[in-house]
Amino acid sequence: MLYIIAYLLFAAGPLLALLPGRHIPSVLAWSTMTTGCVLMGTEGVIAIDGPAAQPLIQLALPIIGPFYFVQTPLGGLLILITASVFAVALPFVARDASAFPQGRRALFLAIVMLTLAAMIGFFSAATIVSFIFCWELAAIAIWGLITFETRQSKPVAAGLLTLALSELGSLAGLVSLLLLASAASTPQLVGIAAAIPHLSPTLILVAGLLAFFGFGMKAGIIPLNVWLPAAHGTAPRSTSPILSGATLNLGLYAFLRIDAPIALHTPDLGLIILSSGALTALIGIIYALVEKDMKRLLAQSSVENMGIATAGIGAGLTFAAYGHPLLGGASMVAGLYHMINHSTFKTLLFLGAGGIDATTGTHNLDELGGLMKRLPALGGFFLVGTFAIAALPPFNGFVSEWLLLESLLRVVEIPDIPVRITFALSGALLALTSGLALTCFIMLSGSALMGLPRSERAAQAHKAPRTVIIPMGMLAVLSLLLGLAATLIIPVLGRLAAPLVGANPTASLVPAFFHLRSSIPLAVQHALNPIGVNVGAAFLPLRGLVVMHLDQTSAPVVYAMSTMLAFVVLILMLGGVWLLARGLRHKRITRSTLWDAGLTRLRPEMTYTATTFAAPVRVVFQGLFHPHIEEDEERQGAFVLTRSHRQVITNISDRLVLKPMISAAFTVANRLARMHKGRVNTYAAYILLAMVLVLIMVGGTGR
Amino acid sequence: MTAGAKISDWLQQQTDVTVREIYAGWLQLGCKADQLVTLTTALVNHWRAEFATLLVEETSAEAPLAVHYLFYLPEDGCLIELKILVRPGEELPAISDTVHAADWHEREAWDLYGLRFSGHPFLGDFVLHDDDWPEGLDPMRHHFDGRRRPDVHGSGANWVPPKILQEEGSILFPIGPIWGDFNESGLWLLETPGEQIRYLHTRLFYKYRGVEKIAEGQTVDRALLLAERFAGASAFAHAWAYCQAAERIGDCTVPARAQSLRLIIAELERIRHHAANIAEIAGSTALSVAKAMAQGIVEDLLRLSARLCGHRYFFGLLTLGGLNFDLDPAQLTLLAETLPTLNGRMRELELLLGNSSSFLDRIEEMGALSPELAHTYGVVGPIARASGRAIDLRRTLPYGNYQTLPIDIPVEQEGDGYARLRVLFAESRISTALILQALQDVPTGPVRIACPLREGHALAWVEAPSGATFHWLRCAADGQVLRLRLGTPGFRNWHAFERAVEGAAFQDFPIILATWGLSVAENDR
Amino acid sequence: MSFWPYYGLKRGIQTTPWPTTEEQTPGVTPGRPQASQVVNAEALAQGCPTDALQAVAAGVAVDFARCIHCQRCRHGDNALHWSEDFTWTSTGGIGLPPLGSRFRRSLHVLYIDAGACGACVNEVRLIDAPAYNLHRLGIFITASPRDADVLLVAGPITDAMRTAIGKAYAAMPEPKRVVGMGVCSMNGGIFGESFACTGGLGKIIPVDVWIPGCPPPPLAILHGLLTVVGRDIPTALKEQP
Repeated sequence: MLYIIAYLLFAAGPLLALLPGRHIPSVLAWSTMTTGCVLMGTEGVIAIDGPAAQPLIQLALPIIGPFYFVQTPLGGLLILITASVFAVALPFVARDASAFPQGRRALFLAIVMLTLAAMIGFFSAATIVSFIFCWELAAIAIWGLITFETRQSKPVAAGLLTLALSELGSLAGLVSLLLLASAASTPQLVGIAAAIPHLSPTLILVAGLLAFFGFGMKAGIIPLNVWLPAAHGTAPRSTSPILSGATLNLGLYAFLRIDAPIALHTPDLGLIILSSGALTALIGIIYALVEKDMKRLLAQSSVENMGIATAGIGAGLTFAAYGHPLLGGASMVAGLYHMINHSTFKTLLFLGAGGIDATTGTHNLDELGGLMKRLPALGGFFLVGTFAIAALPPFNGFVSEWLLLESLLRVVEIPDIPVRITFALSGALLALTSGLALTCFIMLSGSALMGLPRSERAAQAHKAPRTVIIPMGMLAVLSLLLGLAATLIIPVLGRLAAPLVGANPTASLVPAFFHLRSSIPLAVQHALNPIGVNVGAAFLPLRGLVVMHLDQTSAPVVYAMSTMLAFVVLILMLGGVWLLARGLRHKRITRSTLWDAGLTRLRPEMTYTATTFAAPVRVVFQGLFHPHIEEDEERQGAFVLTRSHRQVITNISDRLVLKPMISAAFTVANRLARMHKGRVNTYAAYILLAMVLVLIMVGGTGR
Repeated sequence: MTAGAKISDWLQQQTDVTVREIYAGWLQLGCKADQLVTLTTALVNHWRAEFATLLVEETSAEAPLAVHYLFYLPEDGCLIELKILVRPGEELPAISDTVHAADWHEREAWDLYGLRFSGHPFLGDFVLHDDDWPEGLDPMRHHFDGRRRPDVHGSGANWVPPKILQEEGSILFPIGPIWGDFNESGLWLLETPGEQIRYLHTRLFYKYRGVEKIAEGQTVDRALLLAERFAGASAFAHAWAYCQAAERIGDCTVPARAQSLRLIIAELERIRHHAANIAEIAGSTALSVAKAMAQGIVEDLLRLSARLCGHRYFFGLLTLGGLNFDLDPAQLTLLAETLPTLNGRMRELELLLGNSSSFLDRIEEMGALSPELAHTYGVVGPIARASGRAIDLRRTLPYGNYQTLPIDIPVEQEGDGYARLRVLFAESRISTALILQALQDVPTGPVRIACPLREGHALAWVEAPSGATFHWLRCAADGQVLRLRLGTPGFRNWHAFERAVEGAAFQDFPIILATWGLSVAENDR
Repeated sequence: MSFWPYYGLKRGIQTTPWPTTEEQTPGVTPGRPQASQVVNAEALAQGCPTDALQAVAAGVAVDFARCIHCQRCRHGDNALHWSEDFTWTSTGGIGLPPLGSRFRRSLHVLYIDAGACGACVNEVRLIDAPAYNLHRLGIFITASPRDADVLLVAGPITDAMRTAIGKAYAAMPEPKRVVGMGVCSMNGGIFGESFACTGGLGKIIPVDVWIPGCPPPPLAILHGLLTVVGRDIPTALKEQP
């Protein structure tokens, strides 16, 4: 019921925007759509708490087959995330939409709502038909979002690139689904999952890989992630939060849904997912570091975060496949948690970037600076976002990344040497990623918020739109809460991960303060443990400490963390410093201006930019970037009048994968073109050959 | 036929060029403004003449400004003076496109005289900084009262730093004016996209004391103090050049004993200057022990100087017509006994540094100035000799007792930090030998004769420790200084420094600066 | 392989015993004229190019704020006697007490070159050398006014450095002291006051301690820095016969 009302509200929003006027229709449309999002979010919460599968729609369409939708807890989580991201992004969307003429405004909102509707449909798809239908619908809607604002060639090219790669991915995914469906002889996703143990290992491995790389493309997984910064960098600023915060999760969900049952029987698949995720993360953050366009930087960082979440999922599936479902559950929880976190802080940061763009007219970091003083609220929330994404406690990014790194260390439970090496390398890549992410977001916040404004527009900035600040504030609080209340969230995620890995990790989540040596008699242990629990509960309002045990007998600690305690310590320390400063403070505080080494005036062009900050990274990773350098010098006699230096950095996946693919496609197309000059019987022969091939394939996969 | 005679013949053949031989080895040319560029370019590029200095003189408010371009031929010591008269408000073509050594001279003349050089791309904000001074003040002109601060001060344009580099996200990384521990004031703007220096703007004259202006109107005797003390690290060399100019005007022959002692003290100053420079180089690479060893040599040389001349920097020793006071035999014996030990310590330091690979790694190929650039910029002194230019006024235009002493000139080709260090060591070794040789027969007799005051002008030069310095002095009949021009080596070499740091990383900048060993005081005057 | 630490140790202690005991090595100071009772005071005062010598009834008085060690009164028939001391520092007369015991072993100095000729620069560099070693006295050089307790300024205060000195002084935390080093910083020295030189640090910021001399030798500079803390006592700037 709620679904129907919500969908009706989604449809009503754009229609209301058709009304004449400027502000009132926007506000009406916004309130309608937001109500829809809230209802949908509620439905998501119900689903999370609900049964494993609750059928929604069961349409048996002719020709294309069963068109079923089902409500699952995991789908509910993604619906909740998606609806929430849309809800906080809608004020800014509505604000920017109100600048359009009414027809265009309605179209814009319609595309936004179509994206949402298609995504929610996708998260509840139960058969391959509904799965692919919603996927395609979402792809087209996203293409519409990216190319909406302007007809300049660059966004259209970016949109086409997205669409082309999306279709390439969809094609791979479709092949995978068809392979599985025909082998399992059922179009139901549940049925396919159930049939997997009985299928040929090669087939499911091929299908799993196709699904991972095909659907993973939507999440920016290597090798095909060049489209992501291009597309997100050119999308209208109000839709960037949606694109990065919500639509990227489509890819994660898709391959998780298909690959989780496969990976339980194919350990290699989990390892491939893990290592691809770790590599994606590293490549994403390295390229983020050399971007000076805020939107492109954040998009590259999305690649990084999707990589981290993917690595968590991959590690979880590998653990489960090797018979450690509890460890697998912990990693899976880390992956899912990171997905939630990414949606939180990336929406926050993109809203901030959009707000800065709306205020100053630029999102080039080299033209910003000094915004903290000029836009304190936006700057403060933006800073919280960078803290969270740089994985600094007590914010949420820390929880999931720490959890993931800790759970990767538990690979000692798996005796296989290659597995251990893969885990160790992936862990190292992820650790390097974390360090670079810290550098990257110091650079982002430093060059945008701190220092002197480097352009007139940045210097003139004085008021950011409230449509951005209020959602940002909400998200900043959420980032903090997701960090502090980790102990409340992990059990929920543990329950969601249980069907994927086969066990609920939080079942062994023991909030015990004491871990007793096994030499102590069991009776004493049993008596002491509850005391620990009670002591902890008495001291702290929440379950402050999380200690996850592998099992009750040997009880090695999987991980132990307490962001709540860390927060309390942090507050105590800051408070202590504050008190100390108050106590020691002299009677007089002297404030003097910035020390500029005695220059008459420190000018903005003398201060660090994002480019200069990232120069060491450019030097270290020169081999990866293969920069193309153009130098020129203008002279007058012995005088050097100007000297220009241009450095174009190439994307590694663009260089190593996309370009060869394109040239190979051209070669094949040329070869094919050669066949087109034959006689009629040649064509007949081709047709015959194709028919024979199809028959063989049908026969092979049929019974 | 000497090069001077050849060039004289060639010049006679040029149309509209008047050639006058003031005395043997000094040609004065007159030409039209539009011939200036071709003539000076031919002098430098074809006849391999060295640009000495450019000086502007104002005889009276109505009369045109006299602009002298001074060149010399390193081969046979012929001086060439190209003189052009310009009415105030008129322009001269800039010669610095081709005779690049004149670049800063032209900028200086524009700032101080308001003499515009058409075609010069970077006039303005040089001696007088744009953020402090308005345009059109022309402080060296007679109508400007140099005794007090002008009321207009501080009303200048808001200075916009120069930018050569066109690269996205690049910045002007400022160093100075107050920077480092004991550094001289100046502003260096490194144009950089981060890490690597692509271009350098040297903005000096934070220490501009207007010495040339305040000398005007003082007596020749009093102005000697200014010439001596505007650059204390090579005080004796500059004072000597000034005294030579005054003695040339007064046509006074300095006693033989004074000439001999002047040479000895000048070489002693050279050793001390080079030792201090070596200490800075070692210090810039954080080699504390080597720095301490060099500083020990410096301090011992300073103490020795004080025992010889009563002052650690030879202040007050020189006077017009000789020396202020004589050095007694005991002092000369002390010098002869101490110097070999100090030279031995220098030699030891040289060997230790030459065997210290971590040190060499930091100065080899660092801050290199190619021989071509060294010629273009007309650098002088040890920097020129480290970049393959065998020029040294002691040999090319010998003065004083150098006329009779053959001088060995160390020349290196690489032009990098290590080449400069080797030149510094070699020169101090040669200077020690020179002193010891000169000490063997110091003539007896007076050290001073009276130097008569006369109307006239003269150019004199000395190879200061940092390179060729040219002093131009014009006096009135009562011994009043009308014009003092200090053409210092610092002014020449700082100009070229901007090209030595291109491509270096930030952390190399202090090392390159130390290996150049340039004095800001000598440049700023 | 580098043996620099060994070469350093091999050289032994090079540091002056001052201020614990007297330093009498010849050449550590150029010395300066002493006010004396002489018969030809007028001629001596006339011969002084900077008016540092004044003929008074009793003989010749010396104003050390003007003496630039030109040595013109040192030689000849009626020469003045020159003392070989170096404890020349005198107070600036603004009445602030010495920095006191808290800074005795931790005094941070910011050096600013405001047109110094190179001799002052060279001498101030040498206080860092083993022969004088300012660190043993608890004195340190800093590059930032934020850490500095003492501002040490040399040179005749050129126009372009006025702003910089004012900014550095303003950027220093209290308590702070200012030391003017060399006669140039006191009144412009031979450069005097002109269009390009302010001619005296005292004209732009209050100066606590003057170190006369042209240039003051390293020991005189150390004496000045010790005087700022109160570990040594100032001497008079003018000497009467």
